[in-house]
Amino acid sequence: MILGPFLLIALTVGISYVSANSSSSSRQVAVISDSVVLRKSYLQQHNSGINTKITTTTKAKKAMKANHLAGYLTLDASGSQLHGDYHGSTAMDNGFKAQVQNFLMQYQQLKNYQTAKLTPKQQRALAQTPVLKQHISAKTGTSNLVKTLSFWVLITMIYIILITYSSIAAQEIASDKGTKIMEIIFSSTTATSYFIGKITGILLVIVTQIVIYICGGWLGYTIAMQNSGIKKLVLANQSLVKGVFHNLFNLNLLYVLLGVVIYTILAAYSGALVAKAEDASKAAQPVVMLSMAGFFIALPFQNNLDAVLVKILSYVPFFSSYFMPMRIINGTAGLGEQIGSLVILLAAIGLFALYIGRRYQRLMLQTDSKNIWQHLIHSHRRS
Amino acid sequence: MLSIQHISKEFGSVKALNDVSFDVPNGQIMGLIGQNGAGKSTTFHSILNFIDYGGSIQWQGHTLSASDFDHIGYLPEERSLMTKLTIEQQIIYLARLKGQPAKVIRPQIDDWLERFAVKGTRKSKINDLSKGNQQKVQLICTLIHQPDLLILDEPFSGLDPVNADLLKQAVLAARDRGAAIIFSSHDMEHVTALCDQLVMLRKGDVVLHGTLDDVRDQFGKTELFVTTDWTAEQLQTLSGVGSVTDRHNRRYVLHLTDANAGPAIFDTLTQGHYIEEFSQQPPTLDEIFRLKVGEDHV
Repeated sequence: MILGPFLLIALTVGISYVSANSSSSSRQVAVISDSVVLRKSYLQQHNSGINTKITTTTKAKKAMKANHLAGYLTLDASGSQLHGDYHGSTAMDNGFKAQVQNFLMQYQQLKNYQTAKLTPKQQRALAQTPVLKQHISAKTGTSNLVKTLSFWVLITMIYIILITYSSIAAQEIASDKGTKIMEIIFSSTTATSYFIGKITGILLVIVTQIVIYICGGWLGYTIAMQNSGIKKLVLANQSLVKGVFHNLFNLNLLYVLLGVVIYTILAAYSGALVAKAEDASKAAQPVVMLSMAGFFIALPFQNNLDAVLVKILSYVPFFSSYFMPMRIINGTAGLGEQIGSLVILLAAIGLFALYIGRRYQRLMLQTDSKNIWQHLIHSHRRS
Repeated sequence: MLSIQHISKEFGSVKALNDVSFDVPNGQIMGLIGQNGAGKSTTFHSILNFIDYGGSIQWQGHTLSASDFDHIGYLPEERSLMTKLTIEQQIIYLARLKGQPAKVIRPQIDDWLERFAVKGTRKSKINDLSKGNQQKVQLICTLIHQPDLLILDEPFSGLDPVNADLLKQAVLAARDRGAAIIFSSHDMEHVTALCDQLVMLRKGDVVLHGTLDDVRDQFGKTELFVTTDWTAEQLQTLSGVGSVTDRHNRRYVLHLTDANAGPAIFDTLTQGHYIEEFSQQPPTLDEIFRLKVGEDHV
């Protein structure tokens, strides 16, 4: 299970690599022209995605038929007007189209100047073009991108961690339900001690797995940085990468961990509420649903983090793990608010663990056909 | 001493225990008998605080609490172990829950495995053991920390006579070192062989309580074992004989309606001559059990 994500990533990278290599030739186009100068001029400016070996229409048609070529462009400069004809199985993409149009425009202009026999001064005068500039504050732009990226990375991470480990915790507890080994254990230690021990054990497993993923991620990052293209990309977006990492490895990480703790406790409670060990798979449902609710309520608020509901939910245990990190990323939660929310979350975890610990023995020793909600009600009554 | 005083327990409208009281002194074995659903396991669960109950349960003069867990050995009715563990891991895990360090328990394991003739080594997985051997490992887990209070729910079920004898020896050894022991069983032979006292429950009520002899004597010496040339029909005509059971080969049991009829029957059967067998006894525990259960169906 621990190696699963690594194997999945390795498989995806491998398949992408093979797919990219096998399909790259079929995405290329050929440039064909009777004018060697015109063709050479085009290839000097744009050589990416061009199959330079094909120089005739016949060869191009043959290559297209064999699915080795996406299309071919013929350039004709025999008259006073340049002609460009593209033949392909699909339309030219916008980037390629703009590239060809730009080239034809430049070349046509050069040809026009030659035909009109203009003086250099006249040529310069005609070459004047209007100027449109955009003035964007680089800091603000990057900052917004950092927030958006951090938001998505964080809530997706919280959601996946909670969904995965809630199920594991619930099933782990539910599998003990009604077994006689629980009677032996409860004749040896208190249910509260056992419950807290069990939760601590599950959490340590979770933390170990997360540490393995972080180490694996770091190793993957180091290997990826050996690739010049990726290194260039990362260096070009240094402030973005640093900003996202900063937003993940601060108080937000504590919220992720405490979120895992409170959801694990709830998952354990759900596990103890099922009718019998065989129903373990149903045990995680309430926790998964609550976690999904947190995730899907958070989504619409990504651009409206000042909403009252976001502020309220950033203090409500189970939801604060989603909403307070969102506010922290956005910079709309002061330190006092962050500490207040943390205190509420910690108190809720403590009280919740104590409350469930006291009912744990009764729940774990029950074996009847009551459903999860009937057990919930029954656990509050004296048996 | 374990002292149970006036405990009651209801599950909805069903009365599982009704004013049950008895004591189990240190160094004594108490047998708890009764039909299925009589309240035996509920009594054990009450002692172990698994359920809430009315009344009082005291251990060594105080209410039994978590601080006493280390001195209790409990064997539940259905066996259950952690099947992925090895024998050693399982024994040490449960012993550590009882406050015993692994370094104290580990050297004792081979001795206990030998004593119970477990087929497997300390490194054998629980899952690979036969049902009987798993049961013996569970018994070792119950006994290895030398508990002062032993609670055994149907400990003999599923054991063959040889292994049942091994368990009897272990229980008697625990009694001899001063442990208070309470166990339930449907096999009256084991109860007769082991118990200093017994309690019979019927639908949550105590219907019998005392030492084995006291309980049997309550019913009078109404069983007469004879070996004679008389036929069953002839024996049936004797005064004070309620019914006759043929034990084959001229051997009979006369079930008397009046225990005082014994001397007259002796005179009639012997006529002053030798008789191979004439023994007047109280009913066996098995017969008393059937009798008490039968009362319920009348």
